Amino acid sequence: MATIQTNSIPKSYSLPQSSGAKIASPSTRRLLPTGPAFVSHLRLTVHHGHSFDKHDEFVEKERQRLEELQASTSKSGEDDLGVGDEPETEELLSLDPKEWKKHDYYAVLGLSHLRYKATPEQIKIAHRKKVLKHHPDKKVTTTVTPQSTSSLLTGLNLNTNDDAFFKCISKAHEVLNHPEKRRQYDSVDHQLVEEQEETPTAASFKSQKMDFFKAFGPVFEREARFSRKQPVPMLGAVDASKEHVEGFYDFWYNFDSWRSFEWLDKEVNEGSDNRDDKRYTEKKNKAERARRKKEDTARLRQIVDLALSLDPRIKRIKQEEKQAREAKKAARSAPASGAATPKKSKEQEEEEKRKKEEEEKVAKAEAKKAKAAAANAAKKARRAARATEEGVVGNGNAA
Amino acid sequence: MASTPLQNGSVEPIEPSNIPAVVGINFGNSFASIAVFTKEGLAECIANEDGERQIACAVSFFGEEMYIGNQAKNQLVKNSKNTIVGFRNLLGKKFSEIPQSQSTSSAPVIQHPDIPDEPAYKVEILQPAPSPLPKTASNTPAASSAPTPRSEPIPGERILSVSEVTTIFLKSLIQSAQDFLGKTVQGAVITIPSTFTDAQKDALEKAALDAGVKVYQLLEEPAAAASTTTTDIWSPNLSTDRTQLVVDIGASSLHLSLLSLRQGLAHILASHSSENSSVAGNAIDSKLITFFANEFTKKTKTPLTVGSPNGAPSVADARAEAKLRLAVEHTKRTLSASPGAATCSVESLKDGMDFTGSINRMRFDMLIRPIYQSIADAITELLSSAGVDAHQVDEIVYVGGTTCLPGLDEHLCLTGGFNENIDTPFSMGTVVGGGVGDPTTVLARGCALQAALIESLSADEASAELRKAFERNTDLTEVTVTSKTLGLIFPDESGNELGGTWVPVVLKETALPARRSVTFDVELSDESKRFAFELWEVSEGIRIEKVKPPKVELSDDEGADEEEEEEEEVEVKHKTVTKETLLGAAEGKALLGIKAKGPSKETGKWTSTMEATFVVTATGALNVSVKEVGKDGVSLNISVPAP
Repeated sequence: MATIQTNSIPKSYSLPQSSGAKIASPSTRRLLPTGPAFVSHLRLTVHHGHSFDKHDEFVEKERQRLEELQASTSKSGEDDLGVGDEPETEELLSLDPKEWKKHDYYAVLGLSHLRYKATPEQIKIAHRKKVLKHHPDKKVTTTVTPQSTSSLLTGLNLNTNDDAFFKCISKAHEVLNHPEKRRQYDSVDHQLVEEQEETPTAASFKSQKMDFFKAFGPVFEREARFSRKQPVPMLGAVDASKEHVEGFYDFWYNFDSWRSFEWLDKEVNEGSDNRDDKRYTEKKNKAERARRKKEDTARLRQIVDLALSLDPRIKRIKQEEKQAREAKKAARSAPASGAATPKKSKEQEEEEKRKKEEEEKVAKAEAKKAKAAAANAAKKARRAARATEEGVVGNGNAA
Repeated sequence: MASTPLQNGSVEPIEPSNIPAVVGINFGNSFASIAVFTKEGLAECIANEDGERQIACAVSFFGEEMYIGNQAKNQLVKNSKNTIVGFRNLLGKKFSEIPQSQSTSSAPVIQHPDIPDEPAYKVEILQPAPSPLPKTASNTPAASSAPTPRSEPIPGERILSVSEVTTIFLKSLIQSAQDFLGKTVQGAVITIPSTFTDAQKDALEKAALDAGVKVYQLLEEPAAAASTTTTDIWSPNLSTDRTQLVVDIGASSLHLSLLSLRQGLAHILASHSSENSSVAGNAIDSKLITFFANEFTKKTKTPLTVGSPNGAPSVADARAEAKLRLAVEHTKRTLSASPGAATCSVESLKDGMDFTGSINRMRFDMLIRPIYQSIADAITELLSSAGVDAHQVDEIVYVGGTTCLPGLDEHLCLTGGFNENIDTPFSMGTVVGGGVGDPTTVLARGCALQAALIESLSADEASAELRKAFERNTDLTEVTVTSKTLGLIFPDESGNELGGTWVPVVLKETALPARRSVTFDVELSDESKRFAFELWEVSEGIRIEKVKPPKVELSDDEGADEEEEEEEEVEVKHKTVTKETLLGAAEGKALLGIKAKGPSKETGKWTSTMEATFVVTATGALNVSVKEVGKDGVSLNISVPAP
């Protein structure tokens, strides 16, 4: 931002000798005790001993302190429960309220960082925030009307599409504030559907050499939201205990999902009075829902199957079991080899033996249990799928 | 959902805001104004419950009622002896110090009957009658069940000292602010004229305390003006280093101050104040009154004499004058606000005759010209006493109701010898529509800003020291300032007086310690990328050039009359810089030069952006560093020890 421009020095220029002069002696004045500049002058002279470096340090510290203070008040003081402020893109603001079925309601309310995790309180706060900002009454006074050259149009608000986004906000609130509607919407949440497409398959897992936990952790975390039973056991880490791993697969094979697909229903043609027409559409919708539900259950099943087949822990557990069995075998033949290690006292040996035996017993039992559980779960899932299918068909018949 | 149902729907209670609970009060002798912080975080002048932003300093007693502000001022017509005005200037003064004015149109100042040498006002009031004794078994029961009628109030007298009147008035101002803010006011900053003595300051502080508010600071009027004019919203285009002339014309006084603003720090270079009312708002009123009275006489053939020095000849005349005085107030405001003609209408001015007259701006300006001229003279005198040429004033700030008149601004700019592109609130267009430059609100807003600033100082020990600076008679406001401008000269072959390009960095009258930085482009000599600069102390002057104005071709008959005037030469002033002392010099080789490209004159020239930082310590030692902007740039230093 240089506004002053100097010219180059003459070729013959030589530096003048410094005369050793000093600046004219300063005079004394009285400052008017006013304004923030006066306060910083005081700080500089009184507290920092005329040192600009010290003062700069202080100013920087003060700035940081204020920033922290502001951050803390915006967190706790205003109590917006972490709703925060999301930037509104042009695209978002130009949504067409008529296309409401396709909107991303969480983005409209500025909750896209929370999505299905948003509590009703947060939705309420977010809605209020947005309404305050976008209410059509407010827009008339706050937005500057485009200056029109024609004197006839001055004073008129030329932006007639002002309340479009407000309508979107209202619709989003209507849906998200209604537990049933919100459930339906969450079931087919755009972002979720997008993410689901990226679920690793056996082929992609192998070809890209992904880390099992990195690949499947988020998948299960994503699917967990649909469980009627909460909390949902998560994948866990490499060194998870056997109980955890088995409990995990047990849970996911018996997954009880609330996901439903009413949201994707075809609209009943409002214009037609024909009862048969309506019934026909309803029937079709129901069948479609059931189909989607079945697909979804199968999809989840596939994921769990895939996870089970790729899980390194299962291999490890099997390995351990094998080792335990071998150890047992070895223990059985231990007396024979016992003489070879005479250094160990008898007591110790006995203890070790006992321990090993116990371990083996437990491992055996558990392996049995896990097998039974897996088989059970598979059966159950199959049965459940059949039941829903039948139920749907039965209901369809009833309707 | 709230756990407890609210009685009136579900509207939640308004949360306490973080607006500072402070008020700025401009307490003039004739008018006062109050400013607080609004939701938007700006200091705004607010209206009292009568809708007035300029609240007349008047208290009036009529029967059992007490009027404050503009309502009280209207009482001057019929109830003048019970109406108190002009009490601020009497605060803290002894009775013997007050000149006894011969004729007053308001309650006269008398000697307080109980306290020796204390001025006071005596007003007639009606005291409410004592309420009847409560009914008991012992006293006679009433004959009927009807309530006992209230007795007539008893006429009485009330003696009010000046400080009591001030307390009553300030209390009403603070009440208005509290009603606006919706919370109790914690502290206030109140303006005082620079002529106030310590006794007067004490008296005002005490009166404010009695009115229930702590005075954070008594701010002198020029300081309050500076508080507003150093903010960013005043004008983003003005330089932060400027010389400012504050013209403060109220109803009864004229204050002029020449301020030097250096990055928000302000100090007075010279000031002039006169309580002489011949150059202030009241004088303008008198002229207008005489004008309208003459018109009235002309229209109705009813003789009306006003403004005679030994009091009005008759009661009717005196009352007519009081009525006119109230009416011209409105005329003046209309003239300030709109370019058209302004009317003055008074019902039953004299002998039952109504009056309606009008005056346009030009007629008004002609009428008031002598007053404008005396203001301009006072300014010229002030500038010459300070040794500052009018051309060197960068900005004029107007304060006080009288300066709202656009004619005054025009007159001063034309005749004062100022720079033709001097900044005034009128030239910046911030006067109308309650803009930031509105002369009637500048002081109050400055006070509110100052009050918020003092409020924001934390209560710890370090800040307690700083708070002391806002008290009276503190040494903390004393500073040393540079007496000459410091800057750099980059020598070149231009052959001007200085032999190079002058880059001013630290202007004169800058409070020490000071640090300033300037960024500029330096052209380098082609091959060697060499550059050099000299550090100079300079004095600034004004060169007056006589220029013949270009002849205007006029039509024959007009031209003959005006040709002689055209011959006169017009003085054109230029700012000049004269080298005084060479403090040092340095040369170096630039490392980050850029060669200009493209089809232009500058093509092929090497330039580099440099930043010069000057640090002048409190003792006057100077440290200059010139650095190339960017990484690994060359850096040159010059140090000059303290004188």
